[in-house]
Amino acid sequence: MRRKWLMILLVIVLSFSTALMGCSSTEKAKSGDEGKTTEEVKVIKIGVIYPLTGGMASAGQDQKVGVEMAAKIVNGSYDLDIPLAKTEGLPNFGGAKVELVFADTQGDPKIGLGEAERLIEEEGVVALIGSYASSNTAATSQAAERLGVPFFNAESTQHGLTERGFQWFFRSIPHDFGFTQNLFRFYDELEEKKGIKVQKIGSAYENTQFGQGSNEAQKHFVKESNREMVVDIAYTANSTDVTSEVIKIKEAKPDVLMMASYVNDAILFQQTLKQQNYMPAAIIGMEAGHVDKDYVGVLGKDATHILTSATWSSKLIESKPIVAKVNEMYKQEYGKALAGYVPHAITGGLVLMDAINRAGSTDPEAIKQALLETDYPGDSLIMPWQGVKFDPETHQNIYGSNLLLQIDEEGEYEVVWPFDVATKELVWPAPSWGER
Amino acid sequence: MNKKLIFLIVAVLILFFLPLIYKASFFIHVLILIFMFAMASQAWDLVGGYTGQISFGNAIFFGIGAYTSTLLYMHWSVTPWIGMLVGGVVAVIVALIVGYPAFKLKGHYFLLATIGIGEIIRTLFLNWPAVGGAQGIFIPFEKESFWNFQFHSSKLPYYYIILTLFILTFLVSYFVEKSKLGFYFKAIREDEDAAKAMGIHTQKFKFVAFAISAFLTAITGTFYAQYLMYIDPNSVMPFMLSTQIVLVAILGGMGYLFGPLLGSLVLIPLSELTRVLLGSSGSGFHLVIYGLLIMLISMYKPAGLAGWIQEWNFNKKKAAGGEVDGTTINS
Amino acid sequence: MDIILQIIVSGLLIGFVYSLIAIGLTLIYGVMDIVNFAHGAFLMLGMFTAYWLNQLFNFDPLLSLPISIIAIYLLGWLSYKFVVNKVLNAPPVAQIFVTFGLMVFLENLALFLWSPDFRIIKDTFVSGDFNIGEIMFNIPKLIAALGSVLITGAIFWFMSKTRTGRALKATAINRDAAKLMGINTDKMFALAWGIGGGAVGAAGALLTNFYYIFPTVGATFNLLAFVTVALGGFGSIQGALVAGLLIGIIENLAGVFIGPAFKYAVVFAIFILVIVIRPNGLMGGK
Repeated sequence: MRRKWLMILLVIVLSFSTALMGCSSTEKAKSGDEGKTTEEVKVIKIGVIYPLTGGMASAGQDQKVGVEMAAKIVNGSYDLDIPLAKTEGLPNFGGAKVELVFADTQGDPKIGLGEAERLIEEEGVVALIGSYASSNTAATSQAAERLGVPFFNAESTQHGLTERGFQWFFRSIPHDFGFTQNLFRFYDELEEKKGIKVQKIGSAYENTQFGQGSNEAQKHFVKESNREMVVDIAYTANSTDVTSEVIKIKEAKPDVLMMASYVNDAILFQQTLKQQNYMPAAIIGMEAGHVDKDYVGVLGKDATHILTSATWSSKLIESKPIVAKVNEMYKQEYGKALAGYVPHAITGGLVLMDAINRAGSTDPEAIKQALLETDYPGDSLIMPWQGVKFDPETHQNIYGSNLLLQIDEEGEYEVVWPFDVATKELVWPAPSWGER
Repeated sequence: MNKKLIFLIVAVLILFFLPLIYKASFFIHVLILIFMFAMASQAWDLVGGYTGQISFGNAIFFGIGAYTSTLLYMHWSVTPWIGMLVGGVVAVIVALIVGYPAFKLKGHYFLLATIGIGEIIRTLFLNWPAVGGAQGIFIPFEKESFWNFQFHSSKLPYYYIILTLFILTFLVSYFVEKSKLGFYFKAIREDEDAAKAMGIHTQKFKFVAFAISAFLTAITGTFYAQYLMYIDPNSVMPFMLSTQIVLVAILGGMGYLFGPLLGSLVLIPLSELTRVLLGSSGSGFHLVIYGLLIMLISMYKPAGLAGWIQEWNFNKKKAAGGEVDGTTINS
Repeated sequence: MDIILQIIVSGLLIGFVYSLIAIGLTLIYGVMDIVNFAHGAFLMLGMFTAYWLNQLFNFDPLLSLPISIIAIYLLGWLSYKFVVNKVLNAPPVAQIFVTFGLMVFLENLALFLWSPDFRIIKDTFVSGDFNIGEIMFNIPKLIAALGSVLITGAIFWFMSKTRTGRALKATAINRDAAKLMGINTDKMFALAWGIGGGAVGAAGALLTNFYYIFPTVGATFNLLAFVTVALGGFGSIQGALVAGLLIGIIENLAGVFIGPAFKYAVVFAIFILVIVIRPNGLMGGK
């Protein structure tokens, strides 16, 4: 009997001590990195936390690469019109290099919370950037809030994130409502300038945060603009079959179908629409799956004339010199062109590193202050935005905006709205399957 | 007997002082996860390990606990402490309703029915705007206090709360084990028909086990909600969470009092450690190892760690020629 | 009216696919009372077999079909030989978890080796649609349905007409008695895993004609396969066929009339209802 208890105790103690070994570096990290300025530090550590494994790994890996790219631009010396690009490292820290420390949320909020804390306390990072899915960002940013470290988000669109009253949370991408509002502005302009009336709206969305958030915003603006929501379809992500969904849409005959989908469902819907020989006048994706590199890759010709809202476009490579240069660098490094959410992550990384440099100190308060004072010039951005400037209350980027793209016959995403920056004429309505 | 008590007290004292020595949030976070899973798993074990009804739907009770306390707090400013108990009661009611069809089933059918029910309830929450739907609920930050169940400056209070909750759960298991109830439960597990023949009202005791289990799991859910401050159906009620709860018990040893704790002590640090060591390369290789480990344990040590320790202990006693205390085999 | 007909046709077509996936699962269960959680991972590997044969040698999925069957047959056989056979006398929970571990292992290995990207095989031999009146038939799904019927028939024929098949059936009914009669049950178990794997390998290859391929593709199909098997009665091949079709139709009807978000919930609800009323499934004899 006694032995049994002894054994159990031993196991407990042993397990703990093994766990402890991993944490022995803690004291060091805690001892006083705070408030070091200029020449004292050789590297500035930034925590990069994304879902690197699990179902969202594909997107998470892209984000990771994007932030890596940003660090490359800052750490090396390049002839780019981007703050910190020309000099090596961070000049206000005597040329100290940025070092990225990566962590994986596995797409699970509670794992993300722990990892964020580990980055802050064990690795001693001065700021965090992440975490793609809104549920992950909600958890990781909470760790940052609790420990008082700036958290930068470049790609989560749930509007609630910037309405929590957080002190340390900053977001550069427009959120659901901003995003959707832009699309309704597009409908208004469509009627004004081209005499096309968009009255009946259909909505199909995947049934988690992203989709429901978009749908909520759409309902709001449909009501506000006296339009009509004729079909409202929530579907389960990763469905095996969406025939019944498509049949419902076909019945309702919307003028435009707004879709908030991840790539697998976006593909499946398009295939099923074709099978059911139905194509509404326009399908507008809410970025996400519709701009994924696999979307056109898998669908080929069947993706033609699909519209998608987007915060970035590869057309910027042609129209904005700075994007072309960064794209060239990126291609050399990773063997492929900028796509998906990589530019968002690069931008996020650059804006954050610029703020850290301006703070001139690793003191979190100073970095937060620098972030609040951010007024990043639009010309230096690889995004189509006017700039980056945070709302003093919510810390949401007030300059974030989006474009409307349309996939042309070559599978290229062309800018079709705002009309003054369009690279191609809008095709509306999309031809039916028979006419293709 | 005295020695046993002394060891327990020492263990509790160590657990009490440990985070005072190592203060890193991440370390405390791992400890919190360990006891959270140990608690949920211990609660599961009352049904799974003792009565032998393998439920793969315990995440719904976890979720109900999380949602009840959060909604009460959001709408009527009820402290999560009271919400926690209400959540437990709601979970018991749901358990009784769910148990009604489920306990008519046996073996694989029971298991699949719990998966099905879990998915149905999760789908309902996902599409229920009044509870935030898939958007979930952000619990607003309030002044930190015990009453508010919110602590921002330090994680230590969370640790002591979950430690206490776990010890209470453990004691519940202990008393069940030592009481007649435990005897009935195990009789159902070993041979339900024989138990029935002996006059045990098997159906009633399955409900009792399920109700206790649901109550305790819901409490764990409330703790999770207050700890993460954000809940949505996909993080508090997914099938994966049900699986993790079961997994901890399997690894530690089902039906052994110390099983869930042992399982949690090994599994949680292991998954944290493999991720820290291998995960940052982003390859996901740690999950490959994880899968391999589950396979190996099922293949070679199906009684789990607690069973292994006992077996080792048993053999040693036998080798020493001492009297074998038969009653400890299943304790 | 056309809509209802269209829903039923679409439901039947996807239902045949569900059946084909479930048949392997129910066969393994019927012979040795073990639920194979890794079944979805087998399906995924079947799909990847077809995918890589297409990428490397430009094989059409139909041409890859026999290779995929053999590959997953071997995988099933190996899984039995090296993993499952170690837990034959272990508690049921260990039997569940060993295949669960296998699933986690295979899925993440695929994730590690091939990244989580979505892939699809382009320009397959079978593609397109035809219609009868207003009703649309998708040819790749029709081919998959045809394959499902053929393979179910083949397994059925094998089980009842061949010596080995009858031995397999005898093992399923009573393994101890079968042993006494000189049947090598170990061989039979391995065979069951092989055939179970082969069937789902076929399903995988046929799926690639119209569905995309990614490492976690098995998860959703896996859950539906469990429901199919339980609904049809564990171990019943005819049951799996009927249950698969039922699920396909229910899913589509629920999607249109109740709401797409609830279509799987409705499938689960009906499943629970059926097994409570008829605990052995629709056609379960055992």
